Amino acid sequence: MAAQTIAEAAILEGRQAQAFPFFGAERRGAPVMAFARIDDRRICDRTQVAEPDMLVVMDASLLDIEPVALGLKKEGCAVVNSPMRPEEIDLGVVARCVSVDATSIALEHLKAPIVNTAILGAMARADAFVSLASIQRAIVNRFGEKLGERAGSINSEAAGAAFERSREGMCRGERKMQRGNAWLPTWQETPPGVALGRWERGGMAVGPGSMRQNMTGTWGTSSPTYTRARCIGCQRCWFICPEGCIRRLEDDSLEFDLRYCKGCGLCAKVCPKEAIAMHRKGAGA
Amino acid sequence: MRAVRALTGNAAAAYGVKLCRPEVIPNYPITPQTIIIEQLADFINDGELDADFIPADSEHSAMSIAIGAAATGVRTFTATASHGLALMHEMLYAPPQLRLPILLVDVNRSLGAGSGIWVEYNDSMPERDSGWMQAYAEDAQEVLDMVIQAYRIAEDPRVVLPFMLCLDGFILSHTVERVEVPGQEEVDAFLPRFSPLNRLDPEAPMCMNMAVSPTHAMEMRYQLDRQMEGARQVIAEVDEAFGKAFGRSYGGLLDTYLMEDAEIALITLGTATSTARVAVDELRAEGRKVGLIKLRFMRPFPHEELREAVKGLRALGVFDRSVSFNRFGPVFTEVRSSLYGSGVPITDHIAGIGGRDLKVSTFRDMFALLERSASGGRVRECTWHGLRGEM
Ligand code: SF4
Ligand code: SF4
Repeated sequence: MAAQTIAEAAILEGRQAQAFPFFGAERRGAPVMAFARIDDRRICDRTQVAEPDMLVVMDASLLDIEPVALGLKKEGCAVVNSPMRPEEIDLGVVARCVSVDATSIALEHLKAPIVNTAILGAMARADAFVSLASIQRAIVNRFGEKLGERAGSINSEAAGAAFERSREGMCRGERKMQRGNAWLPTWQETPPGVALGRWERGGMAVGPGSMRQNMTGTWGTSSPTYTRARCIGCQRCWFICPEGCIRRLEDDSLEFDLRYCKGCGLCAKVCPKEAIAMHRKGAGA
Repeated sequence: MRAVRALTGNAAAAYGVKLCRPEVIPNYPITPQTIIIEQLADFINDGELDADFIPADSEHSAMSIAIGAAATGVRTFTATASHGLALMHEMLYAPPQLRLPILLVDVNRSLGAGSGIWVEYNDSMPERDSGWMQAYAEDAQEVLDMVIQAYRIAEDPRVVLPFMLCLDGFILSHTVERVEVPGQEEVDAFLPRFSPLNRLDPEAPMCMNMAVSPTHAMEMRYQLDRQMEGARQVIAEVDEAFGKAFGRSYGGLLDTYLMEDAEIALITLGTATSTARVAVDELRAEGRKVGLIKLRFMRPFPHEELREAVKGLRALGVFDRSVSFNRFGPVFTEVRSSLYGSGVPITDHIAGIGGRDLKVSTFRDMFALLERSASGGRVRECTWHGLRGEM
């Protein structure tokens, strides 16, 4: 949505633009990539962007999973959603960096941790290739048309707030960046029958047990805390958890496996005794 | 009034459909097509389009409803993708023979097993034998423009056949681009009211789709074969008329890029053409005489136009985004059969399977093989580009 909106903003300014996503799993919260190109001439190249002028990281926890800054151009700029100052962020390359706590801004303005409009304000701050005014106009168009006038205006305000609260600097380049050990077999090595054995995980499919490597706990922005003393052992939370990460112990009390918790908050919602409370991750830290 | 908008390929399709004012839109959702149908539902909800929106219980039913609606003489639209098209397969054979000019947008996506949600032409290519016209679009503007052209072509009294417009999943369906949306009055002026060949009408009862015995089936099929052949002329005319009315035309059945003095050329279709243009520009800047043929229609197939376009070539490559196992990609088979005896050496180049990213370098690799072929070197009949492991 952020890539589409920046493209729309450029088009509103009378330029050519292209924006497209690449989805992995079709689930909210799963990591996705999106690309945008802006030019004064017709854009023919439709390949994914490998060496961007601007890299936007919407979820800083991705930095621990993927070498996201690998292709960033030397003179390029990174925009990172993080409460940290640019100097505290280790992207793996030293580069011009704009950081903004887009999650907090989104929670304030939209009452939801949906950061893709706030981050646009930081992008305008990082590079004036598209103005904040055009971005806000594109947001009002895009969100206003689909979700109503108010949605347009609060999202546009979120972008404005992010523009103001962005911090500019240089990020650090200490982390080692390596392409993950992606499993890329030749056609002769590719297992026949679209089937994989236990614990295996590959680009083509997911074998049973692969969730041991593929943790979903980084997806959420909040996590549950459990108060044993209030719990009556009704198991409603255990029943509703979509990730199966609540374990029922011998005495009917519960254990939460936060490595897989995606922070949906359903457990807290169904608990009749307020034995579960949701907390913003990293809050207070 | 014309308006410039930032639209995805899917939204461009929906805007085009709205401007053509279909009266019935049976539908069933499937990624990556769903947003076309959702956008049309929005238009209807907002009072911008007056159509019956009929959610079906499957794609098979959606096509069945489309057939019923079109048989009563109303303009009909539906969209699908991948497995949805496969589920429609049985019903797809009815509209051509019944001469019902339905428009179907297929957002290309691979068929399983071994499938994802990404583009491959193994959903639409097998349907080129069903009797539908079949076109492929390169960008969002062409999607919108072709929706309008498609109805005019399909409903032309010299054609009266259903039309399948294909667009690449995600690479086009979900990509935002600059699109000029024509005004309603200009589209109304360009696209006459639909007047059906036959219509089910209680006032004047008629029987449609009876069982046909061997004594009549063959003549019916041959009639269809001739209709499809005749559509070639209409497609060229409509494209020209569209150019006059809206300032954009696409070359009819095929388009060419830098072919005037080209010695080697590649045939592409869909969004691959865009990235291939970049490769051609690079090679031209290096002084190489390369060109591009953009194939726009698989049915009717531009056999004569192609023979004209390849005159003087020393090598021709065909890009394919699907394969008929053991016997090449379908575009190659069609091209080679159309150019039989032309003397131009032709090779097949399979790439982008399952949505794999097509890079400028992928097309440069194809041209490198074509140069080798042009200078008498040995080149495989069919090369899979980007494949891991020895072929
Ligand atoms: S928030 Fe609760 S219900 Fe949701 S995934 Fe985490 S433990 Fe499960
Ligand atoms: S829903 Fe609440 S009371 Fe029931 S088992 Fe879970 S934590 Fe305990």
